Amino acid sequence: MATTTATLILSSADVTGHNFSMTQTATLTRAASSTGLDEFTGITSRKYSAAQTDTVVVADSIYVHSGSAVAHKVYIRNTSTGNSDYILVELEGNIIIGRLYPGDWMFIPYGGTLDVQVTTIATNVSIEYGVFSQSTVS
Amino acid sequence: MATITATINLTSPDITGDPLNLSKTSVLNKAATATGLDQFTGITTVVYAAAQTARCIVLADAASGLSGYADTSVAHKVYIKNSSTGSSDFVTVELGGSNVLMGRLYPGDWCFFPYDGTLDIDIDTSAANMKVEYGVFSQSTAS
Repeated sequence: MATTTATLILSSADVTGHNFSMTQTATLTRAASSTGLDEFTGITSRKYSAAQTDTVVVADSIYVHSGSAVAHKVYIRNTSTGNSDYILVELEGNIIIGRLYPGDWMFIPYGGTLDVQVTTIATNVSIEYGVFSQSTVS
Repeated sequence: MATITATINLTSPDITGDPLNLSKTSVLNKAATATGLDQFTGITTVVYAAAQTARCIVLADAASGLSGYADTSVAHKVYIKNSSTGSSDFVTVELGGSNVLMGRLYPGDWCFFPYDGTLDIDIDTSAANMKVEYGVFSQSTAS
């Protein structure tokens, strides 16, 4: 199986009274296993010529989820420029996760039980996304 | 205002036919501005003596007087990590009063995502003595 790592680096010189810097690295493995995830969609890049409403970027039907014993991961980034053109990220049923403003990214565990959808408020909003997943439940 | 950066590196030599090496850095600004977020909870570390069900770790309701965040036109960010060891003890991340499933964090897994302040974020833990860390970067008022 593949070896995939996801590293998060958070840093700030001034958000608290002292320097804050944190690095966390996860090896992406199957649920309850030390075996690596074996599927990856690649990174999809899209530029929406019109505003989108509840556009599915991750379809739950594609992914295994029995009992949610899975360790899928979803990456999404708003690759637009400027400050204001956000991407609203929701789980199916209008369950709001949050807004990605230009340059913002997210990386979440995905249970595979609900679609991941995006809504945009402007034309020509750009996005990239990808899913790391396991082909069978653990 | 503060300057906070969040970088993600995704790497794999063998998940595809070509090596994956993605690195993206975001400056955490208030919604629709170039001004940095101005609040941070710090990183909280908790060891739960018993398995938890629907344990609220991010409280949405600003009107509660207990905590809460400005909502809707905001660019808050939430970090959660399962700091447990081994491979099987998972943290389930859920949204809202209906506990809608986002996904499971297995030991060592972390997540980082935008948060609009309208739904609580709850976790379940699958076993006793699990260690979880979490924190919120936020803006004090909506944009």
